[in-house]
Amino acid sequence: MDVSSIIASNASKFQSIAVEKDTPLDVDAALLVATDPNPIDEESYSTDLEVHLQALARDGIQALCTVLFALPTQRSDDGPLAQLPPPTTALPRAKPLPKPKPPTKWEQFAAAKGIQHKVRDKREWDEERQEWVNRWGRDGKNRRLEEQWITEVPLNADVDHDPRKIARDERKARVAKNEKQRLGNAARAAGTPRDARKQEIERTLATSRVSTASMGKFDKKLEGEKKIRGVKRKFEPTEKPLEEEKNASLALLARMGSDAKKTRREPSKEEDVLNVRKAIRSASRGRGGIALGRAASAGGGRGGSRGRGRGKR
Amino acid sequence: MRPLTEDESRAVFEKLANYIGKNLIHLIDRPDGPYCFRLQKDRVYYVSEDSMRLSISVARPNLVSLGTCFGKFSKSGKFKLHITALDYISKYAKYKVWIKPNGEMPFLYGNHVLKAHLGRITEDTPEHQGVVVYSMSDMPLGFGVTARATVDTRKMDPTAIIIFHQADVGEYLRDEETLF
Repeated sequence: MDVSSIIASNASKFQSIAVEKDTPLDVDAALLVATDPNPIDEESYSTDLEVHLQALARDGIQALCTVLFALPTQRSDDGPLAQLPPPTTALPRAKPLPKPKPPTKWEQFAAAKGIQHKVRDKREWDEERQEWVNRWGRDGKNRRLEEQWITEVPLNADVDHDPRKIARDERKARVAKNEKQRLGNAARAAGTPRDARKQEIERTLATSRVSTASMGKFDKKLEGEKKIRGVKRKFEPTEKPLEEEKNASLALLARMGSDAKKTRREPSKEEDVLNVRKAIRSASRGRGGIALGRAASAGGGRGGSRGRGRGKR
Repeated sequence: MRPLTEDESRAVFEKLANYIGKNLIHLIDRPDGPYCFRLQKDRVYYVSEDSMRLSISVARPNLVSLGTCFGKFSKSGKFKLHITALDYISKYAKYKVWIKPNGEMPFLYGNHVLKAHLGRITEDTPEHQGVVVYSMSDMPLGFGVTARATVDTRKMDPTAIIIFHQADVGEYLRDEETLF
């Protein structure tokens, strides 16, 4: 029996899986994107838009599927999974670039003088010990003078000359100077007092603008007056792992429980009538509840005979 | 849709704890899979993680409802429980009240529970305690707040209010368009 005619008629019902275009489509399998760079066919576009768009979409999907089905697959419980290659299309970053930090005083000076920044290793070669040592920090080389076991003393030295102390003070002074410079740089980066004052005035102005009877809604607007920007509310992302959310809720519950205990604790009514602490002190003659209990179990003979607590009353 | 902030969680938990007390932990830490509270248009929904993840892909104006609606926040930030939370509240309720068959209809029309309609009540229920209201055949009908402690109810007259009405299953018909 000849089935070739049946096969041929069956095949003619389906379009071929190969997409024939003047310029081949760009397919980025990782992002599941097929881009058609071909110019639009004016004629088919203007005659029937729907058919034209459907044909365009069909070609794009066909090209994407051809690439996807050629990818290496991996078996899984849900059926075979294609392993996508790394993306080839570069996407722009979502957030703006971070602002550069304001230069420190040294960086300004170095830029003016054309001094190149030299990266200095934290470790240094010690010729005597024949090993690498830290410049500073743990076993740092900057404490070498303080730690050596013998030090040369100048001839005209004082009686209380202490070379270790001098070296240490010098090192501490260097650290203090560096810290002072760091604080100065930080203050300069934060802005001048004028900026701080300007911010304060703006804050006061914003407060006063909404402090009218209509909360600033029906006030006369000045020319060039800006709209007040409020504080943006921030919420936890919805797609965070639920484990964290659960732990936060349980912690909140524990805190609420402890709060409830705090409010519930109020002085009992018996305390007003009888001060238990004072009563025990008086009954035990100042020696406490344990001594009182011991005396009661021993028969009460010894507790009273000593009477040592009497002197205190 | 977003998770609750700490203040909102506190408001919700306080309201729920009034009815189910320490059993609230069983709602947060469930053995059968993670569940969470989500806020969408002032309404608080109790959702399983799976359906929450699915509904992330629905835009906020298009998302009508998800999971179980537990209640809503008023404009002043107070949380009000809805009758839709009854399934979970009745499951874990600490204090319960059973009402007689002749008191069921008045309660389901939104009235307070009178002493004449009171069938049974949990022993040592304190005053102003959230309670779940059941019919005599143990069907949850709604919830309310006790007006008096159990011991004080004995010497009250039959027309006195015992339970202040908070929500009843009749709201499924009365407030159908705003409930979920």
